[in-house]
Amino acid sequence: MSLAWFLQNLLNGLSIGSVYAVFALGYTLVFSILGIINFAHGAVFTLGAYLTYVLAVGEFGLNGMLAGVTLPFKLPFALALLVGAALSGLAGVAVERMAFRPLRKRGADALLALVSSLGVALILVNFIQYLFGAEIYSFPPDILGDLPPAMLFQVGEEFVAVRTIQAVLFGVSLLMLLLLVWFIQFTKRGKALRAMAENPETASLLGINVDTFVLGTFFISGVLGGLSGTLIGVSFGLAGPYFGVSYGLKTLAVIVLGGLGSIPGAVLGGLVIGLAEAFLPPDLSSFKEAVAYALLFIVLLVRPQGLLGHNAEEKV
Amino acid sequence: MLELNAATLAYGQATAVHGVSLHVRLGEIVTLIGANGAGKTTLLRAVSGLIAPKSGSITFEGRTLRGLSPDKIVRLGLAHCPEGRQVLASLSVQDNLELGAYIRSDTAGIRQDLDMVFDLFPRLRERAGQLAGTLSGGEQQMLAIGRALMCRPKLLLLDEPSLGLAPIITQGIFDIITNLNWQGVTILLVEQNAHMAMKIAHRAYVLEAGQIVAEGNAQELAGDERVRKAYLG
Ligand SMILES: Nc1ncnc2c1ncn2[C@@H]1O[C@H](COP(=O)(O)OP(=O)(O)O)[C@@H](O)[C@H]1O
Ligand SMILES: [Mg+2]
Repeated sequence: MSLAWFLQNLLNGLSIGSVYAVFALGYTLVFSILGIINFAHGAVFTLGAYLTYVLAVGEFGLNGMLAGVTLPFKLPFALALLVGAALSGLAGVAVERMAFRPLRKRGADALLALVSSLGVALILVNFIQYLFGAEIYSFPPDILGDLPPAMLFQVGEEFVAVRTIQAVLFGVSLLMLLLLVWFIQFTKRGKALRAMAENPETASLLGINVDTFVLGTFFISGVLGGLSGTLIGVSFGLAGPYFGVSYGLKTLAVIVLGGLGSIPGAVLGGLVIGLAEAFLPPDLSSFKEAVAYALLFIVLLVRPQGLLGHNAEEKV
Repeated sequence: MLELNAATLAYGQATAVHGVSLHVRLGEIVTLIGANGAGKTTLLRAVSGLIAPKSGSITFEGRTLRGLSPDKIVRLGLAHCPEGRQVLASLSVQDNLELGAYIRSDTAGIRQDLDMVFDLFPRLRERAGQLAGTLSGGEQQMLAIGRALMCRPKLLLLDEPSLGLAPIITQGIFDIITNLNWQGVTILLVEQNAHMAMKIAHRAYVLEAGQIVAEGNAQELAGDERVRKAYLG
């Protein structure tokens, strides 16, 4: 347990944890305005990864409806990432129109919206499978162009490896977090969004169009989902159309751990789980997927409202 | 300016307001008084588009409000300061006021009006950076009124601004309402505190179980035996 070991795990944990945080914020934003978990968020994550893959690599896989199809162009990775994220944002908008709005207009119970979002998630995943097939896609190693795969830094007698992918993960996630915080804290529309999260009726009396803001929130949420899907995909590959579902479940643990509906909570939760996974001793590595849930369990025993969540009493 | 014509308002099957007609003319303070549960809040909510009338019509400056959502109705110059203040507790006082001007984009004018509101309620200036949820009840009421003013409304709907406030604070708020009216804001004031409302209003309506039972000049109505008995103790 040397300093280099510590720094290496810290780096690994922060880079993956920052992506969890970005992904988690997509859930949190929707939750904070509608009070509902959008189960289709994991499917949008998958979709974002596949879209970016196709845009950047220019071809589809070997099975699925579009097997063997090649695009007449290949976008540079950064551009593919942006376009993939924007298209994911539109997918988020579609999810709102299909799964949420019809129920909202009828004043249906929130639980129903949860079920309908689960339905849309399944449709989306099956659609992805139909188009892309069930195979595993991996981004080619040269996806980041001529950048070296990693840089080594000497710490004492040992080395810490900063993988370029990790730096990209961390950099993009950090940028997204800062943008989001700036938007929500300091812009007029961000403040309107907070007003709506607190009280939609009062917000509407101030001239804020609730439907537009709900739609906009789903767009941002979709962008965050698609972006984090791509980042995870570049790092670990796209393990079939369902890979977003398992990350989605893990990220649910992240937001509950951090405190449902809390933005700082989602960020903290993401980092905590990323770090916990990174610092897991190698002989326990087969339990990596369980780390998030174990942590969740422990935290909820001590703080039922999550790390940064509010008490029910405080809310009223 | 505002006209309700045989408006019937209901929550599902339960009718709360039965075919009410009333009007507010430019420059007036009109008060709508009535006991708890009479339908006053329901009526204001229908005017600002939060609930759709079951039948009858509501027009503002000759234009029907039917089918318009609340965010569209504000843009016509109609601000609603809701019952129970409804300040945005998790936002600062200043953010609350700035959101009051959400529909505007004239930065200089907004700044000017912010100053105007702060002059009107100096307490709010002292607490500009504080979260609205930490204000006292009276301060929250000031904030709610100030926020409604920030959109430069032609007509201001006030729902029980005196609710839960000490008499001295209520007096201050009513002075300000009178003042605003002098400056040209037309006001529809809903109150249970009929005494004070009648004092500052030009005309009054008395709502009882969802129906108008008396209306007229506020002074005359205050002298009416029935109204005195029922509402002025
Ligand atoms: N959201 C609601 N759902 C059903 N009934 C309501 C609702 N709000 C008010 N009411 C009923 O409508 C009637 C009028 O209420 P309200 O307009 O709040 O009266 P006031 O403001 O004069 O006290 C009451 O009988 C009340 O119980
Ligand atoms: Mg009321």
